Amino acid sequence: MEILRIENLSFSYPLRDTAALSDVSFQVKEGEFILLCGESGCGKTTLLKLIKRELAPQGEKSGAIYYRGVRQDDLDERTSACKIGFVMQNPENQIVTEKVWHELAFGLENMGLQTEKIRRRVGEMASFFGIQNWFRKKTDELSGGQKQILNLAAVMAMQPEILILDEPTSQLDPIAASDFIATISKLNQDMGLTILMTEHRLEEVFPLADRVLVMKKGKVLLFDEPRLVGNKLKNADNGISQGLPSAIRIYQGLNDNMPCPLTVKEGRELLADNYDNRVRRLHRGKKAPADAETAIELRGVWFRYLKESPDIIEDTSLTVKKGELVCLLGGNGSGKTTLLNIIAGANRPYKGRVKIFGKNIRKYKGRELYVNGLTLLPQNPQTVFIKETVRDDYLELSKVLGGDLNALQRRIDQIAELLSISDLLDVHPYDLSGGEQQKAAIGKILLSEPRIILLDEPTKGIDAGYKEQLCSLLKDLQKRGITIMLVSHDIEFCARVADRCGMFFDHTIISFGEPEEFFCNNNFYTTVANRISRAMFDNAITTEDVIELCRENGRRSE
Amino acid sequence: MFHPLVIFSYFVIVLFVTMFTSHPVFLLCSLAGGVAFCGVLSARRQFLSDIGFYIVVFILLSLANPLFSHNGETILFFINDNPVTKEALIYGEFIAVMIIAVIFWCKCLNEVMSTDKTLYLFGRVVPKLSLLLTMALRFIPLFKRQAEKINKSQKTMGFYAADNLPDKVGGAMRIFDSLIGWSIENSLETADSMKARGYGLPERTTFSIFTFRLDDAFMLGLMAIYLLIFIAGKSAGFLSFHFYPTLGRVGITELSAAFYAFMALFMFFPTLIEIKEQIKWKYLESKI
Amino acid sequence: MSYAGRMAEEVNKKRILFILGLLVAVVFLFWVGIVLYKDRAYNIISIMIMVLACIPFYAAYEKKEGDIRRLVIIAALTAIAVVGRFVFGPIPFFKPVTAVVIITAIYLGSEAGFLVGSLSAVISNIFFGQGPWTPFQMAAWGVIGLIAGFPPVKRLLKTKPGLVVYGVFSGILFSAIMDIWTVLSYEGVFNWARYLAAQATALSATITYAVSNVVFLLIGIKPIGKKLERIQIKHKIFIKE
Repeated sequence: MEILRIENLSFSYPLRDTAALSDVSFQVKEGEFILLCGESGCGKTTLLKLIKRELAPQGEKSGAIYYRGVRQDDLDERTSACKIGFVMQNPENQIVTEKVWHELAFGLENMGLQTEKIRRRVGEMASFFGIQNWFRKKTDELSGGQKQILNLAAVMAMQPEILILDEPTSQLDPIAASDFIATISKLNQDMGLTILMTEHRLEEVFPLADRVLVMKKGKVLLFDEPRLVGNKLKNADNGISQGLPSAIRIYQGLNDNMPCPLTVKEGRELLADNYDNRVRRLHRGKKAPADAETAIELRGVWFRYLKESPDIIEDTSLTVKKGELVCLLGGNGSGKTTLLNIIAGANRPYKGRVKIFGKNIRKYKGRELYVNGLTLLPQNPQTVFIKETVRDDYLELSKVLGGDLNALQRRIDQIAELLSISDLLDVHPYDLSGGEQQKAAIGKILLSEPRIILLDEPTKGIDAGYKEQLCSLLKDLQKRGITIMLVSHDIEFCARVADRCGMFFDHTIISFGEPEEFFCNNNFYTTVANRISRAMFDNAITTEDVIELCRENGRRSE
Repeated sequence: MFHPLVIFSYFVIVLFVTMFTSHPVFLLCSLAGGVAFCGVLSARRQFLSDIGFYIVVFILLSLANPLFSHNGETILFFINDNPVTKEALIYGEFIAVMIIAVIFWCKCLNEVMSTDKTLYLFGRVVPKLSLLLTMALRFIPLFKRQAEKINKSQKTMGFYAADNLPDKVGGAMRIFDSLIGWSIENSLETADSMKARGYGLPERTTFSIFTFRLDDAFMLGLMAIYLLIFIAGKSAGFLSFHFYPTLGRVGITELSAAFYAFMALFMFFPTLIEIKEQIKWKYLESKI
Repeated sequence: MSYAGRMAEEVNKKRILFILGLLVAVVFLFWVGIVLYKDRAYNIISIMIMVLACIPFYAAYEKKEGDIRRLVIIAALTAIAVVGRFVFGPIPFFKPVTAVVIITAIYLGSEAGFLVGSLSAVISNIFFGQGPWTPFQMAAWGVIGLIAGFPPVKRLLKTKPGLVVYGVFSGILFSAIMDIWTVLSYEGVFNWARYLAAQATALSATITYAVSNVVFLLIGIKPIGKKLERIQIKHKIFIKE
């Protein structure tokens, strides 16, 4: 039975020339799991918000949305609020109250239910979502993943019939994200809940979806089953394919007539059934041995925040050569960010030595270290901005850099061009999208002409297209002789950019090496492309590697 | 353990009767009760340092009165031709006892009435205000963490150089500035999340996880009885005491002694319950 | 009569009853203080009057059909006022609460100013120690916000000299209200000589306080104001008061 119908929906924001949505029509059947994808700015979020009347943005709207055959405008308040659930991107911002139990009850209080009824529903939700153990905690004490599960549970307590999720896992680490997606799948499979979601992390969601809606520039490009979408997108431009699961990208790259795989398992079968593996190794040009001077050096560093708290960093040593691009991988709360802050001089180790360009970090006085030296891009780019426009914010750095304002102006223009954000300079930082904010923040830290750039989780919350841009930007900076070190839990990204990768675990770096060696020696903590191909090939890490090896080997002759 | 209403009523009664009375015996009971309860609730080290601090406060407070007030007949000595009297000194001491008793009871209140209990109580009377409070309480740790992050990122951009006061003020101001921008922009998403969950529908209710049990009713009854006895004792003159012009006397009769004993019992009641609970648990644990 | 009309009348009746009740309570308190306690129980009565003074504002807020975003922003500003005490922790005497309250009042009006002022007193004392002084702080900061939000004062505050004057005034007002408590805690009864003496001894603190207010207002009003203005324009809120 049909639960949602969109008819010729068009929408444009005030003062914008181009329509955010134009002539969007589709239907959703009860119990379906619909995945919405498309490049950032294609109108996904606008569409989702329009479906939830309470969140509908201001602007020019035409066309109609029907919920169970009733026009949205005619829906009564209670149905609209309770029957259509909405989970947003940022786990922090959605939480309203101080205590977990109160958060679960918040929607039910709004519905005007009596205490007894609320108690039962809240209890039910807490048990279903595994919240019992932190039921009485403060919401602030939860991890990011727990917060998002709480947001989901708080919406589900109101017993919605359709659940809308807007990139719910983009702020979560991979493990929490998997848990969250598994929960969503369970709600769909076991409860028959209708789901409509957008997501960056297609690798896991794509195979779960019943149908995939692909959008482009405010229009519906495709609306079909995942396998068919994978097939039909073969010849689409890069923007959309970049985010697709590795198995599909390998399949698309090979461009042979075979059924489209969705999962790692199917990808492995595809390779094993169709391709030869006489050539098992990809020959890569050996990188010139790095005998450059040392940019960052850590020797036996120990750190803790308070005297009585446990060590966050234990006996960690690390050397980064000038012009290298180094990635540190590791789980949530493993101490990666702390380590980065130590290198940046924001945390001070109680034991051990940190040297930047061969000089002890403590010997740098005042802002010496940060002018034409070292800079850090924090995890949340919003912490970088203060002023009303990006340009004002950039100009503010004259306080640090001193010197001529005109020279700074020129430098701003150069950097804006390098990052292709010239047209964003006069926009308010908070009006930028996540990816744009990230770029604007990178621009700001580049102004001081750093020789070392540290990045904390730079791919968090940005989509595949921006990741691609970031990747080429980092390589470009590296070519200019800048040393780059980033910490991340984005394995795929690190595999693509890094000269060397390290694994951070249990307060210290446990393994370190070139990506090829690093990922091929890991069994679980490795790229999807590597997992798909490891039975066939020895050193394929990215989808491009796999495609190249397959081409080299050719199809298996029957 | 008890319902928030019971806890809150108890503290209100204790604070009221303490501040309404200037009878030495009664004030000492209240002070002792408050200090004892604070003692069982807080960590030993913290408690000892509190005691030390309030002894100093006590001395300051009790010395201040005779310097200003020259009532009373028993002159101890003169300062700048002004008489310092014994009555004024003692009066100052008992005012100090009252203030410190109240402060200790407030400390206990802070400890026992967690924010969710307070919000529950006021949620019934002023639901919107209590929602405002719970949201502010939810924001505080979030903003604190954000302030810390902003601080770090400003530092690594080289915005702090010197270590003098104007630079510190400037630095803190920058953090504050950025924090305000961030918090206001992001709080709008919180507003969306509230709207999406039906905030603003008519007939909102208030939920709580607290249940009112028979014990609670019993306690409320007990407190009512206490209040009656307090009023009776007051009208019998057990709580009248005068400091000026000469100190009054505490008349001890069988009845008044019983009255004071009952007042003391009431002040020590939470301490006794707490100790009983602790012993009970020790016993239960030893059985396991 | 329409349902809404009946509701309005009901609310009006309730409101009148409520105000009457409040007046009765205040008179009763004075009676208790003067007749029953022969002018002795000053402290408890003054505390209760401070609390009672806040109640009409809270009650008025309860009755209002408020905008959610306004509610959230008031909560956020309250939290900011409290967190400011931590951010400026290392700098002595520099507490941004008063300034945040004033800026709130300028942009969101008297009611919001009062709420942010009085609630940040309650909340910050959860962290810094609750006590009998809490109601005095509530009233003091509340009143500072309340006055700053009155339209003529608001107009004055758009000018720099006005800001300086109000910054100093709020410093003095705060001390004046808090010193009532100081005197009561010293003596148990209120007397003017003591009150003035307390004011004099606290003079240096009052001056630092007033100066820090002024400094904060002068540096802070522009950036903070801009941020609030932006929201005001972008989301069309706080227009009705």
